[in-house]
Amino acid sequence: MIGEAKSVLIVDDSSIVRLYYREALEKEGFRVDGALNGIEALEKLLVEPVDLLIVDINMPKMDGLSFLRALRMKELPIASIPALVTSTESTQKDIDAALEAGANYYLVKPIASETLTLYATVLSGAA
Amino acid sequence: MSIELDVSEEQYRRLCDFLYRRTGMVFTESKRYFVERRVIDRMAAVGLVRFSDYFTHLRVNALDEIEHFVNSITVNETYFYREDYHFHCLTKDLLRRRISENPGAASLRIWAFPCSTGEEPYSLAMWLLENWPPVDSYNVEIIGSDIDTKVLRAAREGMYGERALMRLTPDLIRKYFLQIEPQKWQIIPELRESVQFSRVNVLDIAETQGQGKFDVIFCRNMLIYFDDASRRRAAENLYESLLPGGFICLGHTESMSRISSLFEVCRFEDAIVYQRAARKE
Repeated sequence: MIGEAKSVLIVDDSSIVRLYYREALEKEGFRVDGALNGIEALEKLLVEPVDLLIVDINMPKMDGLSFLRALRMKELPIASIPALVTSTESTQKDIDAALEAGANYYLVKPIASETLTLYATVLSGAA
Repeated sequence: MSIELDVSEEQYRRLCDFLYRRTGMVFTESKRYFVERRVIDRMAAVGLVRFSDYFTHLRVNALDEIEHFVNSITVNETYFYREDYHFHCLTKDLLRRRISENPGAASLRIWAFPCSTGEEPYSLAMWLLENWPPVDSYNVEIIGSDIDTKVLRAAREGMYGERALMRLTPDLIRKYFLQIEPQKWQIIPELRESVQFSRVNVLDIAETQGQGKFDVIFCRNMLIYFDDASRRRAAENLYESLLPGGFICLGHTESMSRISSLFEVCRFEDAIVYQRAARKE
């Protein structure tokens, strides 16, 4: 990666998944932080914006789509942070719902680490 | 304070009977020296100088004191990636079978029991992260349980010396540990969060059922501590803790076939594993 390291916030309630994605992304030079749900993610973004969000759909407290809708409605620069939604749900309906909520791209789990880092690179503008 | 430990054969037998009734653990004459050393430790800890007084204390404060006593007696030495042929079997065969037989299941639950100071459940989490690509598509729950509250505290803290790490590559140590001191490493917070710990007595069905049902149970080198009756009861309780079609891995010197006929024997390339039948007959 050329230039300053891009930052990613992984929003997923599973610590194993956050760890799995973090390992893959850090290996490619990203700076990575994690949040357990949408509420925690919003709190973190208000303190420190990032270059890319990786967002799971099914989470307690605030799920991924509610989080994206809430984020996109804000009249702040963080409202336009690119978001990659990751989910085990694979129907067109699920994908459309995520795009409508404000996702920029959608990947179906399981996601190979090379695929994840490739899309993270493209979406964060790190290429 | 000088501790007098003049234990008659009769007293030793009564102590062992008592421990057996309360914990299912069997101590024979050959363990006498070992048991007596632990008794002396505990007498010093509670400030009693005569064995008969300590035995009374043990019976009167059974819940508390027996826990301390068991804590001092169980041998808790282990290391990461110990007997890893079961881990190979887990990712190559067991999880694949669980998933293909339960399409649509969102979660996978794995139980490390007894977990001692946490090496095994953390090893499981690391192994899955390293060797099982679909790890992000399931809600993987890893639970470590033990009867010994002292080891559970250590497990939650996740602090280890060099010996425990001897089977791990430098790459794994760099990824999953923080070096705290020259000879001390701590599991990184996210990995610690990936494992839950709980105190469970395997002989108490209410406690084992309280943990829910599992896809795979690792119960290695625990049943060897029990006598036949307790071993059978433990096996039955573990059977009830398995989902239909779930698997249990025992230590390499242990055989479920000699303990209970509830399970089916499955021979995989890397290990022999026992299974709860997928459907009720």
